[in-house]
Amino acid sequence: MPVGDKWVDRNAGPVVRPYALTGGRTRPASGAVLDLITVIVASSLALGPDDSLGLSPEHRRILGLCRGPATVADVASTTALPLGVVRVLVADLIGQGRVTVLAARPAGEEPSTAMLKEVLNGLRAL
Amino acid sequence: MGSAPSDGSAGVPLAAFKVLVAGGFGAGKTTLVGAISEVRPLHTEEALTRASVGTDDLTGVGNKTTTTVAMDFGRLTMGTHLVLYLFGTPGQERFWFMWDELSFGALGAVVLADTRRLGDCFPSVDYFEKRQLPFIVAINCFDGAPHYDPEDVRIALDLDPRVPAVLCDARHRDSVKQVLITLVEHVLASRIKNGAGAAAARSGSQALRPKPPKGSHARPKSGAPQPELG
Repeated sequence: MPVGDKWVDRNAGPVVRPYALTGGRTRPASGAVLDLITVIVASSLALGPDDSLGLSPEHRRILGLCRGPATVADVASTTALPLGVVRVLVADLIGQGRVTVLAARPAGEEPSTAMLKEVLNGLRAL
Repeated sequence: MGSAPSDGSAGVPLAAFKVLVAGGFGAGKTTLVGAISEVRPLHTEEALTRASVGTDDLTGVGNKTTTTVAMDFGRLTMGTHLVLYLFGTPGQERFWFMWDELSFGALGAVVLADTRRLGDCFPSVDYFEKRQLPFIVAINCFDGAPHYDPEDVRIALDLDPRVPAVLCDARHRDSVKQVLITLVEHVLASRIKNGAGAAAARSGSQALRPKPPKGSHARPKSGAPQPELG
């Protein structure tokens, strides 16, 4: 990735067109669009012996970031890749069983009252 | 960050929540997010919509079909497994599609109001009302800006009497913390009301008054010029 290159910094914009990293795919293979705060984590299969098969450097970078639970927004921010690209790449990894979704609740569902009370207590304790 | 094992089978899973921070350009959204959380950049590459024709100068880039939307979000970790994400909503109307995405499954929203340009937050109020996403109005007290009673702002915005309107200083962590507490209390109170049909537990310390009569102060339909306070 050109990010960090001393001649082409982040402000210059991407040198590679963003969706070139996904082979031109703009939608996840599964068709399911991951929410920004979907929590994902690398599974134990993540770095198997066939590690090199079909994994781009970006795929590997994402795997590295998901050793502990992380959200899609975290991964997109840390990699500086556009959100849509990250969604496609994460969906690839989910499809391969290398990443699993730790769904606390289904996407789009409102948080439960019990969870809200936890958040309230968390805020008050800040 | 959590150090849960990679199979996620043990320990408490990470629970993530979304809060939207809306308001007009310069209302202090980024300041508010930065006052309480670690701010991180987020890039999106989105299809250009018809709405951006005429807004974006496409001269010489006739084949350009996507546009980059750069935005920030705040990440606020509470305890070991709760994370609150604060998303500032992109201001321009051509980014409405991002609002839909951001409000999907969101806990609630904070509409940040600048009393010098109160009309700027009409579209946000309209949007959250239509989507029925619980929200509160936080009036950012800028230095040098005239101070108004939250009730005056409530009338000017034609807010539902149950929607809290509070004063805040977006630069100060404790003030922003109180705004977020008011929001979560409001969300909980509206659930109690919706569930039991009883008089809602009033949220926060905000005194609520009956809805003012419709009149010259009422919030016009979006697109109308902004009114003046006072």
